[in-house]
Amino acid sequence: MYGFEALTFNIHSGYLEAIVRGHRAGLLTTADYNNLCQCENLDDIKMHLSATKYGSYLQNEPSPLHTTTIVEKCTLKLVDDYKHMICQATEPMSTFLEYIRYGHMIDNVVLIVTGTLHERDVQELIEKCHPLGMFDSIATLAVAQNMRELYRLVLVDTPLAPYFSECLTSEDLDDMNIEIMRNTLYKAYLEDFYKFCQKLGGATAEIMSDLLAFEADRRAVNITINSIGTELTREDRKKLYSNFGLLYPYGHEELAICEDIDQVRGVMEKYPPYQAIFSKMSYGESQMLDKAFYEEEVRRLCLAFEQQFHYAVFFAYMRLREQEIRNLMWISECVAQNQKSRIHDSVVYMF
Amino acid sequence: MAGDEEIEIYEEGEESMEVKNEAEAKTEGGDEKVLQFLDSLDEYLTLMDSLNSKLREGWFDLASARHSMGTLRISSTLLDLKDHSASSTLQVTDQEVESLGSVPRFALSKWASKGGSGKGKDFSTDAVSEMGSPRSPQLRHRGVSEEKPSAMGETVLAADEEIKKERAKSLSVFGGLVSPKLRGAQLSFETALETLVEIANTRSSMLTAFERITKK
Repeated sequence: MYGFEALTFNIHSGYLEAIVRGHRAGLLTTADYNNLCQCENLDDIKMHLSATKYGSYLQNEPSPLHTTTIVEKCTLKLVDDYKHMICQATEPMSTFLEYIRYGHMIDNVVLIVTGTLHERDVQELIEKCHPLGMFDSIATLAVAQNMRELYRLVLVDTPLAPYFSECLTSEDLDDMNIEIMRNTLYKAYLEDFYKFCQKLGGATAEIMSDLLAFEADRRAVNITINSIGTELTREDRKKLYSNFGLLYPYGHEELAICEDIDQVRGVMEKYPPYQAIFSKMSYGESQMLDKAFYEEEVRRLCLAFEQQFHYAVFFAYMRLREQEIRNLMWISECVAQNQKSRIHDSVVYMF
Repeated sequence: MAGDEEIEIYEEGEESMEVKNEAEAKTEGGDEKVLQFLDSLDEYLTLMDSLNSKLREGWFDLASARHSMGTLRISSTLLDLKDHSASSTLQVTDQEVESLGSVPRFALSKWASKGGSGKGKDFSTDAVSEMGSPRSPQLRHRGVSEEKPSAMGETVLAADEEIKKERAKSLSVFGGLVSPKLRGAQLSFETALETLVEIANTRSSMLTAFERITKK
């Protein structure tokens, strides 16, 4: 019953909530980012990060550093935190934490299939996979020629199996079909996660509904913008939108027929939460849209920590870490390319 | 006699005038060659600066696309290792220049179709043949010179559509739906490639102008 979580939550999940709130305190602050923005090269960044929670992950990396190395090592910190939490979790929290991995599993499946299509070495592809999205039979993905084989040979025994019902075809895998498969799987995953959170009820349902609805809406906008000028038809585009969120269903109807960024703006400005996002950009511009969406997401994720006794804090922590890693990647790229004046184009501050 | 002396002085004056005019003409011709060399040098430096700026922009847009789409989706791991023909080709021809023999001329053919039917645009510059005038790049569209204006417009549109498809095809290694930033990066690198060819032609004309100055 909503409102009585305080009575029972701490029995099974109190320890992990304390752990995740401790991890949240370790996220980089504005002062940390200011120091990082002053760095002249990647070794300076490594030196500044040695004083943070990432220190132990980067200390043994030899110079010269590369931006991908920084991202990989910082991701290991996220993975270690996640593994510590999931090994201590009981049901239903363990299932909730598993759901957080499925997005990465989908990305890894698409990476392996795309790389195999391009005749890349499977071992090389597996090394590039996200650690949170690994599963046992992932290497077997390379033998599949179409989606039916992909499902039958490999994915039927993975948590992604239920998501394949909408994209089971015998068509050969090519770049566009793979893209449609990616988005269809992610749509099914988001809807399933949403239903699971609704079943949990209470504060988890309330906060996760908001976060997942925002994720669904953002995906709809990105799919629309990225498909402008491509061979993806309006009907196919609409099929990739999730069946929930603030934009569902009327916003989706309008987004499906948009042909340029200004039409997308016209649709989104009818919804007050997104009017604020688009008001930050001038007409015809889409460069700052990603940053505006990330800022809004971070605002909502930080608000999740204002309430206790729910699982959304775990989701929020994972997403905030991912945003932090994105920030570090961006700062490293700007420093490496000697474009420090552009650092603030995409860094999203959290606290 | 005085008259003969006057004629001699007059003839000497005429000869010295002729010599003076020849010297002046020589000097003017030499100045013109130096000016040509300095013009081509200036153009070379401007193009180098433009190339540097375009490449920086391209790499930055690529980083922006990686930030937007994720490091898994934009990485060298996804590049296609299957055999495929080049989307752009470079032709090197020799052009005859008066008193200097043959000099190389570079022409870029972008987005040529796989069948070799040559539907791509040809970006070529006639730098060497226009030494005396400010060089301006000329665009040549194959097979349109004898067509009527309305048909030419349709041909250009069809060619643009074809080029759009080729661009989308080369980006499809990163997925069917890519960020506009990745498309921006592609355009920047495309422009950089055109600039490189212009630089090669300008360098060729610069060296030719230098040889003309130093030649006795």
